[in-house]
Amino acid sequence: MSSPSKILKKDRLASFLERLLQERQVFAPVRKGEVILIREIDSPSQAVLEYRNAKESPKSVLFPQRETLFRYRAEKGKAEVDIPSGREQGRVVFGIRPCDARGLLLLDKVFGGDCRDPYYADKRANTVVVSLGCANPNPACFCLSMGGGPCSAEGSDLLLLDVGDRYVAEAGSEKGTALLEDEAFEKVDEETVALAEKVKRESKASMKPVALKEKLEEQLERLFNDPVWKDLTESCLGCGICTYLCPTCHCFDLCDEAAGTTGERIRVWDSCQFPLFTQQASGFNPRPTVKERFRQRIMHKFSYLPETQAMPGCVGCGRCVTECPVNLDIREVVTSLSEGNAR
Amino acid sequence: MRRMAQSSTWEPKIVAFLCNWCSYAGADLAGTSRIQYPPNVRIIRLPCSGRVNPFFILSSLQKGVDGVLVSGCHPGECHYLTGNYSARRKFALLKSLLEFAGVEEGRVQFSWVSASEGVRFARLIGKVTARIKILGPSKKLVKTPARGPFHAAVND
Amino acid sequence: MRQLTTDIRSMARKLLQEKKVQVVIGFERGSMPLRSRPCFVRKEEEVDRLVWDGFCENTLAAYLPKRKEKTAIVAKGCDSRAVVELIKEKQVQRDQVILIGVPCRGMVDRSRVEARVTPGRILQAEEREDLLILKGSDFEEALSRSDFLHDSCKTCTHPNPVLHDLLAGESLDEKNQDSFSDIEIFDAMTPEERWSYLSKEVDKCIRCYACRNACPLCYCPECFVDASLPQWIGKSTDSSDTMIFHLMRAYHLAGRCVACGACERACPVGVDLRKLNRKLLKDVKDLFGYEAGLCLDEVSPLATFRPDDPEHFIVNP
Repeated sequence: MSSPSKILKKDRLASFLERLLQERQVFAPVRKGEVILIREIDSPSQAVLEYRNAKESPKSVLFPQRETLFRYRAEKGKAEVDIPSGREQGRVVFGIRPCDARGLLLLDKVFGGDCRDPYYADKRANTVVVSLGCANPNPACFCLSMGGGPCSAEGSDLLLLDVGDRYVAEAGSEKGTALLEDEAFEKVDEETVALAEKVKRESKASMKPVALKEKLEEQLERLFNDPVWKDLTESCLGCGICTYLCPTCHCFDLCDEAAGTTGERIRVWDSCQFPLFTQQASGFNPRPTVKERFRQRIMHKFSYLPETQAMPGCVGCGRCVTECPVNLDIREVVTSLSEGNAR
Repeated sequence: MRRMAQSSTWEPKIVAFLCNWCSYAGADLAGTSRIQYPPNVRIIRLPCSGRVNPFFILSSLQKGVDGVLVSGCHPGECHYLTGNYSARRKFALLKSLLEFAGVEEGRVQFSWVSASEGVRFARLIGKVTARIKILGPSKKLVKTPARGPFHAAVND
Repeated sequence: MRQLTTDIRSMARKLLQEKKVQVVIGFERGSMPLRSRPCFVRKEEEVDRLVWDGFCENTLAAYLPKRKEKTAIVAKGCDSRAVVELIKEKQVQRDQVILIGVPCRGMVDRSRVEARVTPGRILQAEEREDLLILKGSDFEEALSRSDFLHDSCKTCTHPNPVLHDLLAGESLDEKNQDSFSDIEIFDAMTPEERWSYLSKEVDKCIRCYACRNACPLCYCPECFVDASLPQWIGKSTDSSDTMIFHLMRAYHLAGRCVACGACERACPVGVDLRKLNRKLLKDVKDLFGYEAGLCLDEVSPLATFRPDDPEHFIVNP
C-alpha cells in the first residue's frame, strides 16, 4: 500500500506535541527512575524518544491494571449504580514501538467484535496511535518472525522513522493522514525516502529470525501431551511478569470492593500463570502446576489465537525474554516445539 | 472512612483488640466501677493477644481507623501460658516496620492490662486517645473510597 | 571460574552416575549475553550444560520446596542459608538434598552493565579474574567486576555455603560486616519523607508477584494475596493495597529472609524491595540476636520467645 508520507523535522516535534496536548490526552514513554514506562504527559519535554522499549507495554493506556466498571450505593433496599462515562477527550499514544502498535490490533479483536467491551472499545475509538520505528532492534526482538517488522506501520495511525535530524512520517490510516495535515509536517523529498528505506532495510537485516514451522498451530496440538513440556517449563517460577508485560495478554478478573454500603466493581489484570486462575470451587485445578500453565500460554498464543483471530498472540516485542527472571525464552520454546521437540 | 476536613469537632476512631482473660476483663471492671474514659475506642474481644494477626491492624488502618491498640495479659500471666510472649515478639517487629514505613509513632500501640486493672485501662485509653488526637486523622494507609457522585454522601 | 565449571560438572556427573540423586539443579548459559539461568540435569550426557559464572544470580533453593526427587543443588552462600531455613521449616529433608556448595564472589547486575553499554551492542560477555569483558561488533570494553555487582551481593556477609556436602572452589574470606548503615540513614529521615519514598517505590509495582515467586522462603500453598475469606488486600494496584502487600510480605519473612536478593532482581520495574527486608533483618538482629540461615539448630525468632524479650514499646499509662 502506498501510504502518504511527510517529513517532521525534529525541532518541530515539540510544537506538534503541544498542539496535540491542547485537545487530547497524550501518552508517551517517560522515564520513571531507571525504567521507561508509558504514561500521560502534560508537556512535550517529558516524552523520551531515544529509548529501546518501555518496560511495560502500552496496553495499560486502554486496558489499565485497575479499572472501575461501576460504583454503587445501597440504601434501604434501593441500589444506585454509577457507570463511569466514556472519555470524550481524545487520546494519543505517542512514540510507542511498531510491535506494541500491532499488539493493540489483537486487543481490538478480543475486546471488539461480537462481545464489544465498552471500557476498552470506547477509549480505543477515540485513540490515535503514533509509533516510532526501530532502527536498532534489541537482540531479544523478533517482531519480524511474528508477522510484524521493526518499521511496520500495521496497527499505527502514523509511523515516524528517525533518519537523523528528522522523522519520516508515514500514515497507516485515515486518522494518520489527518494528523499529517498539521503545520509541523513538510513535503518529503527523494533523498529522505531513500534514507528511510535504508534504515528499514538495515534494521530488518539486523534481526535474528526465529525458525518456525508453517503449520505451527497443528504441530502444537499434536504435542499437547508430549513429555517435552516438563523439561521446557521446569525452571518457570510461575510469576506474572511475562503476561503482565506482554502487549497482547489480556486476561482479567472482576472484583467487588466494598466500603460499607458503597463500593465499586473493578476489573484487574489476571494471569494464566497464577495458580488461582483455573482453580475451581471444588478445589480441583485442571492446571495444577507451572507445566500446564506455561503450556496454556504457548497454546493460547501460538495455536488457539491464530485459529480464532487469524493472528498469533505474540508480536515479538521480546519483553518476556528479557524480563523473565529465569530467562525462559519463548523463542527457544516455540522453536523446540516447532522442530518436534528435538532439544 | 476518610473525613472531608479536619475540624475541631473531629473525634478519632480507635480500635482496641483486647484479650478476653485480662485486658477485656480490665476494661469491663473500668465500666462497672464507673471510671470515665474517652468514648473513642471500639473494643474487639479475642481469646489472647497472641491471636492478633497483623492484618487485623493493617486492615483497620486501611478502613480509616485512626489508631489501633492491642492489649494482653502481663508477661507470665497469659491464660494460654505463652500467647502474649509470641504477641510481644510479633508486635515489636510490626510496630518497628510500620513506623519505619512512615506510619506515625503512636498510631499503633501495645500494652499490658490485667483483669484487676480497671483504673489502668481507663488511663491507657486516655493516653492513647490523647496521642491520636494530636496526630490527627489517619491518612497514610487509608484505601481511598469510591470516588464519584456518592463521595460526598459517604458518612462515618 | 572455568575451574569451578569443570568441578561442578564432574561432581554432578559422579552424583548422577552413582545414582545418589535423580536431578542436579544448576546453571546453564542463557539465551542472551550476561545471562545464565537455572537448569535441571537428569542425564549424565547433559552434565556439560552446567556452567558457573558471574551471571548465576538466581536463588536455586526456590526450586526445593515440594520437590520429591533426591536432588543435588549448586548452592551459593545465600542458597545454602535458604536451605537451612527450609530444613528448619520442614519444607526440605536434609537427607533428600545434596548441596554442591560454591563460595560466591558476587553476581553481576546486568542492569548496571546495560546502563553503561547499550544492551544491543553487547554480543558477548566473558569473565577473566576480576574483569568483565564485553565484546560487540565495534567495541571491546573491560569493566571491573566488583563495580557492577548486585546490591545484595555487596552487603553479603556469608558468601561461603554454611551447609554443603561437596565444595567446589575455595572458601572466601568473610571479612565483610553489614552495618545496615543504609537503614540507619533512611531511619534518620522524617516519617513523611520515608512514607513518600516508599509510596513512590510501591506505586511502580504491577502486582506480578515475581518477588514472591522468586523468593525461596515464599512457598505457602495459599498466599495471603489470594485469600478470599477474608480478603486481606485487594488485587489491584491501589496504593494502599500494594503498600500493605509489600509491608506484609516483608513481615512474613521476618526472621526467615536470608538476604539473597532474588526478589529485587526479579522485579521488572525496579521496586526497592530490599529496604523493607533489610529493616527487618536489622530488627531481628538487634531485638533477638538472630540471623537467618546460619545454624540448623537455632530456632526461628518468631517460633520462640524469652521472658526478658524487649518491651520498650509497651505503653505504660
